Amino acid sequence: MKKKIGLLPLIIIMMAFLIIPLIIMVIKSFKLDGIEVFSLDNYKEFFANKYYYESFINSMIIGLFSAVLGFIGAYIISYSLLGLSFRTQEKIITISNLAGNFAGIPLAFSFIILLGNAGVLKMIIPLLKNFNLYSWWGLSLTYMYFQIPLGILFLYPSMREIKKEWKESADILGASNFYYWRKVVFPFLKPTMVSTFIILLANGIGTYETAYALTGSNINLLTIRISALVAGDVFAKPNMGSALATIFGAFMVIIMWLSQRYNRKEENLEKEY
Amino acid sequence: MKKNIRKIPLIIFGIYFIIPIIGTFLYSTSTKWDNSILPKDFTLKWFLELFKDTAFIQAVARSFVLGLVTSMVILIIMIPTLILVRLYFPKVDRILQSIVLLPYAIPGVILVTALLGTYSMLSIPMFIVLVGALFITLLPITYLGINNQLKLINIGEMIDAASTLGASMVQIVTKIIIPNIRLGTTLVFLMVFSASFGEYMLTNLLIGGRFETIRIYMMRRMNENGHLASAVMILYFVFLLIVAIFVFIINNKQKKRYIEKSKIEEVNKQKLYGRKEDLENVFNS
Repeated sequence: MKKKIGLLPLIIIMMAFLIIPLIIMVIKSFKLDGIEVFSLDNYKEFFANKYYYESFINSMIIGLFSAVLGFIGAYIISYSLLGLSFRTQEKIITISNLAGNFAGIPLAFSFIILLGNAGVLKMIIPLLKNFNLYSWWGLSLTYMYFQIPLGILFLYPSMREIKKEWKESADILGASNFYYWRKVVFPFLKPTMVSTFIILLANGIGTYETAYALTGSNINLLTIRISALVAGDVFAKPNMGSALATIFGAFMVIIMWLSQRYNRKEENLEKEY
Repeated sequence: MKKNIRKIPLIIFGIYFIIPIIGTFLYSTSTKWDNSILPKDFTLKWFLELFKDTAFIQAVARSFVLGLVTSMVILIIMIPTLILVRLYFPKVDRILQSIVLLPYAIPGVILVTALLGTYSMLSIPMFIVLVGALFITLLPITYLGINNQLKLINIGEMIDAASTLGASMVQIVTKIIIPNIRLGTTLVFLMVFSASFGEYMLTNLLIGGRFETIRIYMMRRMNENGHLASAVMILYFVFLLIVAIFVFIINNKQKKRYIEKSKIEEVNKQKLYGRKEDLENVFNS
């Protein structure tokens, strides 16, 4: 009993700053702004107002785009890393994490210097003249700067577990490279790959700082829309913001849950064999 | 040949990584840079101007306070809790494992919405809410960092051994736990500190301009004077670099210690088994 009291501080903090606020947020999302009456109108508004559902779709597109590119990038980099000496690998991982920390305002600003409307690289390289930093490609290029390191952070430790002996055995048994990858490497990495992709997706959709510093409020993204609704001075509609955040959160939780169930199913199948 | 092909992605990634930083650096050391490969002049006047700006000094001080308070609160609460969980509540550990990953699934903007809805009407200072929010978002780093550490030194066995030998709780904490987790705790401290030092979204949305931290300062300056803003970013990058170097060094130290420990264990095991074999031989003969 005495020992259980020791867990109280953590439980209190989780309750005060995560669980209870989330519950209150969900409740508020069912209330109208101003008059605080229960209703479903905030949710109806989401589907009726182009401004709102478009922000969701836009964020999905950029989230998916940057997650796919970031995932491929992280896989290729991790694979290339494994060919180097152990010490070099460690150093590059440190640098990669450093790149991840540079995300946000500094990252957005340096890309504006280089590739913005009067960007230096645009002046030097004519090929880039028509490149629009504030487009999907531009945003994705910027997002990759932190998506790839984040992907490496999760993928690389698992990829390091792949033993050289597996490849050797596969070679001896006459398996082709692709067959080896499909039958040995892929099943081994699949759970990590799924969860890494989900984390990248969540991160891509949830990015606020970089997007805000890069485009201001010009691109209609979910995070920027929510923050304007809950913290804006002029157009504050906290309950509508809560509804958007609840939809976003529910979407993320469902995806997480599906991916975990999928991974667990695979595990069970393996056990049966 | 094949090895070299494998290096190409790394080189491309390296270039992609380094160019924005070089660009920012050149921008921060020039008065004007528009249509040439390199700027035409080199100056440190933006850095000098920066150090004369009291708003900048104050912003650094605020970020520093925020980082320090947050990391202290996190360490003081999380270290005892995780030791307790590891020793007595393995079931709680399994629940924690999935809970600490929540911040990855629930992006900061949702947390901000929830916290603003809950606390904006109450008279609790928003600084406390901000520290709480950082506590939640930094849970994955904290949990993984401290737990890896506890696993490495096998805290359970140590405490068992000490209490069998009659050590008091105070002795256990000061003589055994603290010296053993010093390295790992420093590591977690560095990561938590640098993360909360450079936090933007939570700070900006929860408190806003009333509490101008370094990133909020950057954002304001970015729209006023790009050269000055890039000077701040270069200094910030140097700060990150120093933290990264420290993390790297401490990480290596910790690993070395672990390898030494496992070598000793290996030798002991061999001795043990050796003796066992000898005994078996004796019995068999």
